[in-house]
Amino acid sequence: MRKQYGALVVGAGIGGIRAALDLAVTGHKVALIDRRPTHGGILSQLDHQFPSDHCGMCKMLPLMSRDSSSQFCLRKGLFHDNIDIMLSTEVAELEGEPGKFFVSLSTKSPLIDPTKCVSCGKCAEVCPVRVPSEFNAGLTERTAVYLPVPHAIPNHYVLDLDNCQRCWKCHDACPTGAIDLKFNERVDFHILVVDRDPAVETMLKDILNELNFPLHCVQTGQAAVDMLASDDRIRLVLVGMNINDMDAERVLTRSLELNADIPVVVMAETSQISTAAAMVTQGAREYLVKPLEAKRFVPWLDKLYMRIMSDTTEDLEVGAVVLAGGFECYNPVVDPEGGEDIWSYGHPGVLTAVEFERLLSGTGPTGGRLLHPGDNSEVRKIAWIQCVGSRDVKKNADFCSGICCMFSIKEAVLAKKATNGAVETTIFYMDMRTSGKGYQRYRNKAEHEKGVRLVRSRPHSVIPVNDGMDLKVEYMTDAGELVSETYDMVVLAAGARPPGGMEKFALTMGLDLNEWGFAQMQPYASERTSRLGVFAAGSFGEPRDISESVIQASAAAQAASRIIKVYDVLAGIESEPEPEYPDVSREPPRILVAVCTSCPTLEQTVDLEALSRKMSAVHSVCKVISVGATCTGEGWAEIEKGAAEFKPNRVLIGACMPYAYIPRLKELGRSIGLNPALMDVVDIYTPTFVLESEGQAEKEVFAALSMAVARLQGADPVPVPVTVDVARSALVVGGGLAGMTASMAIADQGYGVCLVESEEELGGMAMRLHTQLDGSDPHKFMEELIGQVEKHPNIKVLKDSRVAISRGSAGRFRSAIAGPQGVFPLEHGVSILATGGHETKVYESGLCVHKSVMTHLALEEQLATGVLDAGALTGVAMIQCWRSRDEDRTYCSRVCCPEMLKNVLTLKKRNPDLPIYVFYRDIMVQGFMETYYTQARKAGAIFIHYEPDNKPKVAFEDGKPVITALDPVLNAEVEIRADILSLSSGLEPNDVEDLLEVFGVEVNEDGFYQEADFKWRPVDFLKQGIYMCGAAHSPRRMDETVASAKAAAQRALRILSTEKIARETVVASVRHSLCSLCQACVAACPYGARVVDLEEGKIIVDEILCQGCGACAAVCPNSATILKGFHDGPMMSVIDAALEQPA
Amino acid sequence: MSGTMKQTWSPPTDELQSVLAELKETVGACMQCGTCTASCPNEFAMDVTPRRMWRMIQFGMLDEILESRTFWFCSSCYMCTLRCPRGLKLTSAMSALKRLASLDGSRQARKNGAFYEAFMDNVETYGRVQETIMMNGYFLKRKDPAVPLAFIPMGMKMMARGKLHMPSGRQRGLLKPLFSKAREMEGGI
Repeated sequence: MRKQYGALVVGAGIGGIRAALDLAVTGHKVALIDRRPTHGGILSQLDHQFPSDHCGMCKMLPLMSRDSSSQFCLRKGLFHDNIDIMLSTEVAELEGEPGKFFVSLSTKSPLIDPTKCVSCGKCAEVCPVRVPSEFNAGLTERTAVYLPVPHAIPNHYVLDLDNCQRCWKCHDACPTGAIDLKFNERVDFHILVVDRDPAVETMLKDILNELNFPLHCVQTGQAAVDMLASDDRIRLVLVGMNINDMDAERVLTRSLELNADIPVVVMAETSQISTAAAMVTQGAREYLVKPLEAKRFVPWLDKLYMRIMSDTTEDLEVGAVVLAGGFECYNPVVDPEGGEDIWSYGHPGVLTAVEFERLLSGTGPTGGRLLHPGDNSEVRKIAWIQCVGSRDVKKNADFCSGICCMFSIKEAVLAKKATNGAVETTIFYMDMRTSGKGYQRYRNKAEHEKGVRLVRSRPHSVIPVNDGMDLKVEYMTDAGELVSETYDMVVLAAGARPPGGMEKFALTMGLDLNEWGFAQMQPYASERTSRLGVFAAGSFGEPRDISESVIQASAAAQAASRIIKVYDVLAGIESEPEPEYPDVSREPPRILVAVCTSCPTLEQTVDLEALSRKMSAVHSVCKVISVGATCTGEGWAEIEKGAAEFKPNRVLIGACMPYAYIPRLKELGRSIGLNPALMDVVDIYTPTFVLESEGQAEKEVFAALSMAVARLQGADPVPVPVTVDVARSALVVGGGLAGMTASMAIADQGYGVCLVESEEELGGMAMRLHTQLDGSDPHKFMEELIGQVEKHPNIKVLKDSRVAISRGSAGRFRSAIAGPQGVFPLEHGVSILATGGHETKVYESGLCVHKSVMTHLALEEQLATGVLDAGALTGVAMIQCWRSRDEDRTYCSRVCCPEMLKNVLTLKKRNPDLPIYVFYRDIMVQGFMETYYTQARKAGAIFIHYEPDNKPKVAFEDGKPVITALDPVLNAEVEIRADILSLSSGLEPNDVEDLLEVFGVEVNEDGFYQEADFKWRPVDFLKQGIYMCGAAHSPRRMDETVASAKAAAQRALRILSTEKIARETVVASVRHSLCSLCQACVAACPYGARVVDLEEGKIIVDEILCQGCGACAAVCPNSATILKGFHDGPMMSVIDAALEQPA
Repeated sequence: MSGTMKQTWSPPTDELQSVLAELKETVGACMQCGTCTASCPNEFAMDVTPRRMWRMIQFGMLDEILESRTFWFCSSCYMCTLRCPRGLKLTSAMSALKRLASLDGSRQARKNGAFYEAFMDNVETYGRVQETIMMNGYFLKRKDPAVPLAFIPMGMKMMARGKLHMPSGRQRGLLKPLFSKAREMEGGI
């Protein structure tokens, strides 16, 4: 029977993890696969993310039911009860339809049994192979048997068969026999060879005898088919293309009919390659070109044998599919024609951005010190070159990668930090695209405070000079001077490309691709691919930064959960109820210690009997038992037997890799009737790998065990959980695009929604749009959406209304909404704030005075309604960033540049000869929007760059605008006389001062809502149960608004999908008698879970909000704040145990 | 419209306008990154940088374009075309500018193009450059007695190094078919 899942998530990078977690916390089973042997995607390589310049991925961990996912660093490991991770796995086939997809997955075996591998590293020590390390982006080398990522949990070695030399040294070196190369099964691997050439037969016989494979040779196709039908031991067919009685194709088809799984390999002459290749598409595994040479053939056959024997396939049935394959970085070595590119990438001083990040990483080749990879000398001058492989039509990239500007600024800041500001940093750019939330401030800070030099110019190439010691970069200044500078290091901001093998993948998945090879997405639903039920998360559909990828992933999760809901996938599968455990808090602790002795390294280094004796002497240990192998079912049964015999109320297991046991502790708890919180697993194997002095391993093993004993002694049995009954409906504030989309997403899941709009009609700002760059009709879309919202049985729309009061916490809020009909009381579990924004009103440059001056939106409206006749115009001028990105509003409004391009293209379409002049600072068109910029330039619009300290001046003659500005390329003043002056006045958030008070939330310095974390929790408020979306979060275009609304809805569903929210086992509490009300804990709490109640004179902890991080307990001067399970007493005894010398 | 950009002193002919329109289309997508100019080996000798030249085409500053000598210095190395991230045919644009200038026929344009024309005439006639004859042709085109005088020091230097050859007719007319084919392709200009 096929395994059933709610969704399949393809790609376990940040987008895949977010989508999988979002689905898992709402109760859906998720299969998360990745073709790499590790999870984490590109972020496993990146240590620092702006704006904090830290990591922080752990902030994505579930905030509720935390026990269902182990609280590990997410870059290291992802554990959730509802997520099955399958690595080195790819989709082989996808059939069926939304709600019932049949997926077959093929998994490449790591050839090392992860249940046996103890990660001692002995195999890698003996491996003779050296290939560039993927993790360090080629800056270091790895062996063929290697750890893909040094920090992963669990972290097992994998064997890279493609680079293996078949010396088998690793097999002999492995102390636990984890490396399984299937030596003994060879005699049962029968190979059938169909070929007329006797030379082939002789050669194969020679070779295969040596390799111990039984061989059957036949000359005719009929004989081969007969043999296959009669002999079921045949495991591989080698078919030549020279047989007489039937075509090789026919042999292939018949073989597959007899045994669908049998691998068939075609042996072709050089002239027959195209036929052979066609046979591969018909089901042959691969083809070989004759003549066969033993030197190449033997390793090939040996590896093929191991692949066939070890690789597995699995068939699943899933409701929806989420694709999160991310992107690949452009490779600057070659240009598309195959020639060498101009960036001297072969020089050790020329790095790609990812390589540079590895260089700065603590786990990188230099341990995080900024040293030249060529000679390890100090780096003094670094240049970053933007748009390498992006915005370059010759590299088939008429798109902007959207991420490079910010990561280059970040890298420059990090380089400054790593060298205490000593290094000189220069970024060469064309447009600095800082159009995300807070990006412009980050840029300004880098430029003005950190001293990062920004040069607006594109160097033509990088040339090594001074015998390759320096790198010469030449560029043009605005004044037209050629400047030549030398640098020690050049970092290429290599842009994004579709993931490797995208075309084949698209064929498998049935996706349409766009002209650049990325998945084609749908308008107003950027998570929808061309195939129904298949969604795109993260940067799969378009290159995106982390924050937008995370939003996109949640939106995809929302779309997937809608399919799961609509088609009622996995209906009736209930999770087991939490069992009740006996209360042991009144009993003295009795600890059973089980020591796993399965791997020989322990016995070789530690005297087990002495250890057992010593451990038995430790206070409260009732029995120490040795278990053969805890990683097997038998070993586990031994522990259960021991527990039944000795009746302990605490269990401690000494083994390897504790994290692997966490799910199994729950099973053990059920079978022996003991709360898993009173059990622990400690690692006693790592000390035995590296021996520094005699007896050291024994000491360490003993210390590890006795510390765990001390911890278990003090462990609190789980108290009765505090629960909140969830009011399963939502309040959505704001009836614009974002609010309506979020309402629909929640209402479609069957929960009630109250949508509050302050205006008299739904629609908001998006109603002012008439056209879109992609040719879609926003008006029609909005009208349909309004119709759906107003008719939806689960949505109650309150127009002309405001939220007057809202009290309570996640799961149960009580609010009052004041409207024309009076006050409407409401109980709801979540709130979504989608209060939107508006076009900024500017009263200057003749706006509102002269009819010829208008904003971009007004121009769009006049063009759409026909008020303005483009054919009658003689000139149009436009000014970008009219009031954005300066002192008043230090952010990019993001929507104005596309809006401007839209107007330019409309005008040019109607009047191709119309002169259009656009004054701009940086054209902010990320992603595929770039192509419209190219179109506008091609259509003949003239773009004139200006600096903020020398803005274009506007005067009026006869009521018509005259704009004077400096053209930096001509280095001359130009004076433009136009009929129309269109200004991009920017976007401002709506005034929400009253709502801040009502909901207890905050806005940032620009008036946009302050999210819990910009990158990892982009649509959450710090206060749980309240979410944000749309332009109130940050300036967003329509499809981005829709994505954020769906993301907010998905986050809200986490709460609505449960009947009760339970308190966690680890939460903080306050001993009020010791508390001096200094409120240090209130400031320290990163989750806003603490408030001071001045009337009562108490610190109040919201136990649902509290995440048990312990920051409060650490700052409390009186030890008044305590963390459950981490009291001072037990912690001190753990430390004592660590320091204690065994008698 | 653009005030400081002077209108051409005589209304441009249709032919000039069509070449200009073609040029505008060729370099319309230019975003002034400057890669072409930084790549150009002859940039030092140009009075207007290639980047500014494209800008002048975008603005339609015909008289300034014709005054410039920039395009006569283009040696068609194709470096700019190769490196342009917008994939623009910049070397062709330079040739079109040469065409534009020869169409124009103004004194300034004739003066700037004189050397180029003398060189091409010479190559067409003799199959390779005959330095002495070419210079004579150039001086005749310039019709300015001061010009030959200015070249005397250089001529002496070249003579001293044996760089001036006696005219030879061995390859005479060898390249004629090439030139006539090129003229045919350009539509008889």
